[in-house]
Amino acid sequence: MKYLDYSLTEIIEKLKGGEVTSVELVKECFERIKETADLNALNSTYEKEALARAKAIDETRGRGEDVGVLGGVPVVLKDNINYLGTRTTCASKFLENFISPYTATCAQKLHDAGAIVIAKANMDEFAMGSSNENSAFGPVKNPVDNTRVPGGSSGGSACTVKARQCFMSLGTDTGGSIREPSSFCGVVGIKPTYGRVSRYGVVAFASSLDQVGPLTRTVRDNALALSIIAGADPMDMTSSQTEVPNYLSDIDKGVKGLKIGMPSQFFTDKLSPSVRSSLDKAIEWYRENGAEIVPVELPSVDTALAVYYVISSAEAASNLARFDGVKYGVRAENYEDVVDLYFKSRTQGFGKEVKRRIMLGNYVLSSGYYDAFYRKAKRVQKVIRQEFLSALEKCDCLISPTTATPAFKLGEKANDHVAMYLTDIFTVPVNIAGVPALSLPCGVDEEGLPIGMQLIGKHFDEAMLYRVANAFELAHKEGK
Amino acid sequence: MSITIDDVKKLAKLSRLEFTEEETKEFVKEFEATLNQVDAINRVDVSNIDLLEKTIDADTELRKDEITPSLRADEIVSNAPASEDGAFLVPITVAED
Repeated sequence: MKYLDYSLTEIIEKLKGGEVTSVELVKECFERIKETADLNALNSTYEKEALARAKAIDETRGRGEDVGVLGGVPVVLKDNINYLGTRTTCASKFLENFISPYTATCAQKLHDAGAIVIAKANMDEFAMGSSNENSAFGPVKNPVDNTRVPGGSSGGSACTVKARQCFMSLGTDTGGSIREPSSFCGVVGIKPTYGRVSRYGVVAFASSLDQVGPLTRTVRDNALALSIIAGADPMDMTSSQTEVPNYLSDIDKGVKGLKIGMPSQFFTDKLSPSVRSSLDKAIEWYRENGAEIVPVELPSVDTALAVYYVISSAEAASNLARFDGVKYGVRAENYEDVVDLYFKSRTQGFGKEVKRRIMLGNYVLSSGYYDAFYRKAKRVQKVIRQEFLSALEKCDCLISPTTATPAFKLGEKANDHVAMYLTDIFTVPVNIAGVPALSLPCGVDEEGLPIGMQLIGKHFDEAMLYRVANAFELAHKEGK
Repeated sequence: MSITIDDVKKLAKLSRLEFTEEETKEFVKEFEATLNQVDAINRVDVSNIDLLEKTIDADTELRKDEITPSLRADEIVSNAPASEDGAFLVPITVAED
């Protein structure tokens, strides 16, 4: 491995300087993908197409023409992001053979910036899960310890970046699906403000909570990647018109004079000792470097998980109604009539967790329960959102652990869905409030497993998260 | 919160999903566990919350209602499990006499 240890920012400079060609990089990525195939991080790879595109980009660069900010850099997309002509399976049997007839805006922006999509990353089926064990194509393994889960649902996206199969990836985050795997695998991942990145062409799970975000090995890489994919999109009416700032312009300003809020509700006795001690050290580091740590309260945040399961399942049940075995996907072989075709195709096509969420979603939306569950949850969501806004008025960002423990063992929680849901207690509230949050490595436990801290910002203030995260990362290089 | 086997069967029908008797029983148990967890939403006082009142300026725009190129029918139908002459093929839904 010659170049894959470099960060995205570093490799861009090496490509520009002519030290390495894009063809060499793509070749090295595929060597590495083959070496680390047992991690099961990828659902589809595009070696031939990637090499052809790399060759074309090298030639363009050779002629002195512009190749874009990411010109010739190999990247990976989560397998729920459409990219013309590639398989987009959502790690579901249902979409095993689905070929994207168009490209998602986020992927188009990467493409237009010169990135080379080399593969699609494995994930929990339809992005429902916290361990990547819900994939129809088998679980992804944690690249740091292959007996452990990589987190989910963007487990493949986190794994492929950590395992040095590529320089960056895209994931999606509805309740922690970028941040939890970033924390478990030891990479940097951001869930941008709701509306910051277009969702057009991304297979919907819970439309009011889903956001796309980059996963990278450094904070600076992440800031660069977000600046490329963020922005208003006429094809997504929930995408914000708010201008995208330059996330790199303030990134090196340090934390002196900043206020970092510490929500007491996120520092509970549920934290494992290693997570607690890593967070304590990080907070101490911020204090020593001139930040003021202020206590803040999020009194209703412990109800966010309940709110999340009502809202996300309701939206999922509605979004997944389109999978009927008629328009795309797999159709059952034996059926009596068209209704039976729906029943059989859905029963055979969806995995257990997806069925569980569809059932819960239809329950909370069904007559007699709608007010008690869905409307109630939407109201509690407003309370939680308001609490975040009030807390963030007192400081520049909030700090918390990303997860209560490091990565758990494969199979450990597979049969206890309530325990599995609880792994998201610190990440879910962020989606409920719609604010941005970033996870970055802040240490390892006694077994060398990565520990992540979460920085939560004001709406559309991703720049502050990058600034606060970058200061810590630069002072703790080994986390890279 | 209690859930019966009949509730689960009704939901399965609404969801267009089939479960074996055993799976149905398992769902009853799982549902109770999930609903106990979901019950937390009742701990928050929401009497002053107006769902229609906007909390944040969303700053979003609808695109202009203009005709733009769209996907071709044959491109769309190419993903269908069964198709004929650019149309989705399904079993007969209206019976002939």
